[in-house]
Amino acid sequence: MNIDKIMTDGLSFSLPLFIMAIGGIYSERSGVTMLSIEGFQGFGAFTGAITVVILRTAMGSSPNWLIYVATLASVLGGMLLALLNALMVIKLKSKMTIAGVVVNILAVALTSFLSSVITGAVTGQATNKIQLGVSPRYTIPYLSEIPVIGGLFQNIYPFAFIIIVVALLAWYVLYKTSYGLRLRAGGDNPHSLDAAGVDVNKIRFSAVVLAGGFAGLGGIAFTYMMANFSPSSYVGYGYLAIAALIFGNWNIRTTFWTSMFFGFSRSFSDQLVNELGMSSNYSDLFSVMPYVLTLIVLIFFSKHNRPPRALGEHFDKGKR
Amino acid sequence: MTETIVELKNITKRFPGIVANDDVTLDIRKGEIFALLGENGAGKSTLMSILFGMYEPDEGQIFVRGEKVRLTSSKDAAALSIGMVHQHFKLVSNYTITENIVLGDEPLKRLGPLSWVDLKGASEKIRSLSLEYGLEVNPDDKIEDLPVSTQQRVEILKMLYRDAEILIFDEPTSVLTPQEIEYLLEIMEELRRGGKTIILISHKLEEIKQVADRCAILLHGKLVGVYDVATTTTQRMANLMVGKELDFSIDKTEHDFGEVVLDVSDLTVYNEQKVKVVDNVSLKVRQGEILAIAGVSGNGQVDIADAIAGLQNISAGSISFKGEDISRLTIKERITKGISYIPEDRQKEGLIMDLTLRDNLAIKTFDREPFSKKGILQPESFEQQAEDLIRRYDIRSGQGGQTLTRSMSGGNQQKAIIAREVELDSDLLIFVQPTRGLDVGAIANIHQQILEQRDLGKAILLVSLELDEVMALADTISVAFRGQILKTDSVHNLSKEEVGQYMMGVTQ
Ligand SMILES: Nc1ncnc2c1ncn2[C@@H]1O[C@H](COP(=O)(O)OP(=O)(O)OP(=O)(O)O)[C@@H](O)[C@H]1O
Ligand SMILES: [Mg+2]
Repeated sequence: MNIDKIMTDGLSFSLPLFIMAIGGIYSERSGVTMLSIEGFQGFGAFTGAITVVILRTAMGSSPNWLIYVATLASVLGGMLLALLNALMVIKLKSKMTIAGVVVNILAVALTSFLSSVITGAVTGQATNKIQLGVSPRYTIPYLSEIPVIGGLFQNIYPFAFIIIVVALLAWYVLYKTSYGLRLRAGGDNPHSLDAAGVDVNKIRFSAVVLAGGFAGLGGIAFTYMMANFSPSSYVGYGYLAIAALIFGNWNIRTTFWTSMFFGFSRSFSDQLVNELGMSSNYSDLFSVMPYVLTLIVLIFFSKHNRPPRALGEHFDKGKR
Repeated sequence: MTETIVELKNITKRFPGIVANDDVTLDIRKGEIFALLGENGAGKSTLMSILFGMYEPDEGQIFVRGEKVRLTSSKDAAALSIGMVHQHFKLVSNYTITENIVLGDEPLKRLGPLSWVDLKGASEKIRSLSLEYGLEVNPDDKIEDLPVSTQQRVEILKMLYRDAEILIFDEPTSVLTPQEIEYLLEIMEELRRGGKTIILISHKLEEIKQVADRCAILLHGKLVGVYDVATTTTQRMANLMVGKELDFSIDKTEHDFGEVVLDVSDLTVYNEQKVKVVDNVSLKVRQGEILAIAGVSGNGQVDIADAIAGLQNISAGSISFKGEDISRLTIKERITKGISYIPEDRQKEGLIMDLTLRDNLAIKTFDREPFSKKGILQPESFEQQAEDLIRRYDIRSGQGGQTLTRSMSGGNQQKAIIAREVELDSDLLIFVQPTRGLDVGAIANIHQQILEQRDLGKAILLVSLELDEVMALADTISVAFRGQILKTDSVHNLSKEEVGQYMMGVTQ
């Protein structure tokens, strides 16, 4: 079995999952139920991909730095959709779960529609499968030669570095800064936050928008891994990220490990299908493995988990 | 010494269907303990929330230290050094004491572009504050692991940490045991000596008599007057509060008891932390008898009640109700058999806060006739019952049966539970702390109801921390200590002092 490949792929699956889960953690720790990670991811990735298409056509070439522009665009795209979500749940006080599902459906519809329209207008050929350039990949000398885990240091996407830095920053902000202290209070007892003179809804609003940004970053990373964007290509990942954060008990550090668990179980099952040379029927069966694992894990572990106490409750000053 | 620090002028605050504060004008002097008295729902908490910036008044003005101010959030209040301990604490349960205290006003440390919350420094400051005022806490403890009395200290420290000069206490003593109350009152006097101004809301007139300098009385949102505490008797305060002569005498007629309704034997209960909280307890309650379990808070009395109602599993012993063992029955089955339960925590176990009053009143009977017919709910019956109970039990709410339970004042929430439970017409009624947080009028009313049920031949189990209440109502007293019943005897054979001794674990 190709251990190196399992390691390499496992990491490239896990890290985007992890950063998306961090987005979910931000939102949920502030008290806003977050089901629309997937929508943010998709819409962000779409924004990134379409930016690449536009710039590529305009310039007639495809330089390496395009990938960073795409990343930035994806983050902004995720935030834009998150803004809509935040308006729905915080300003208009719609049910958080319903808003989440609506945003997800909207993202799929919007991205397929806009992909065809924009690619049609820009390149003259309407499609909702957007080809992206190949991302550069890096291998770290020496480390990549270590037996078994060497694969972790081979063919790393640039996103891996970005995600690690952003994740560290996100951890720092959530647990060490005053913003983070206030954010986490919002999900446990928003009334205490209000009594401390902090605007609960502002904090929650910002947390949701940040979640969009994190999901956008995860989205573009996934997209480059698959080398193209299509509205159906990201389906399921957002929910996997949510499973990772629940399993990770709404804590960034534990969620790192649960994301790794999901990512590596996926690369392992992919590799297994490959090795055994199974027909596509069976390979589909094996690709289901991470999700089955998710189910099992959640059944056994969610009992000990403690969601934020005020999760899903709208904050209303008059309420007491 | 008569410098005015806060002036409220013509404050009016309306909520849907109710005027919570009606043209209230008050002035509070620097360095005094100023008490605010009034029935449940008189508007005390609302008035103080306005001074703390949680609500804005519809009309009227606020002056602090002579200057007109507009308070839009508690931040504004904090800037004017006003602090408040709310009736329902506002603490983040999974945070440490330090984190709770600094929240919203975090001390920062910086290094280049990075800044972080200096929890260590804050912790030190809190430790020294807590020593200075005798409010002992360990700043690194998590709130959820702390008893309410400590949580309250945290709320007080929160104010002191912000250098508050005007301290508002909203019913601080209703969650405390008598010893803790004594201690808190001492701390308040200490704070007054330190030059702080204290506003104290309380229903306990003796406390006010003990510490306060002046007291304002509110009735139905209006100010009745401001009185010098030293020259006003508690009886007069009570009369002013309810707007009529109050009769506190409890007339209990002696009668013989009927058959045994509840028979608990050798009951043992472990709590969630696997600690033995009830240890081999036996007790019997007969028709027409009030059995009161006296005891200092946390000696297992509530667990006994919970076990009988089915809220807690038992690990040994039996609970028999009218001769039938019910210890394996579900809560619902016990209700149907005829057990009413007024729980200690009305907001968590007694009511669903986000339902209307109407629905809460029917919450144990909604699946029976006339509330539902063939599985279909009959809203008219809900409405009818609500109207009926609101009238008979004097439940005050802005919009009648349609009022959201959460918006009702604490005392009226309690009345709603009692109304619902008494209406079940059960053979056994369990009352846990039935008068906690209630005004004197409401207390008298509830005592009257408990006695009425007794005279109707119901068996009554009363758990109360108020020794006076126990002495006044009980036919038989059981004293709980460390999960055991130390003594059970007729009220005629026990003096208040003796019961007090047993409560401290003294056995002759
Ligand atoms: N946020 C709110 N929305 C609607 N009505 C409210 C709200 N807050 C208070 N009220 C109503 O205003 C009235 C005054 O309530 P308040 O809490 O000030 O009473 P209180 O004097 O503190 O009573 P208690 O002694 O029971 O605590 C009550 O009738 C209550 O139902
Ligand atoms: Mg109140």
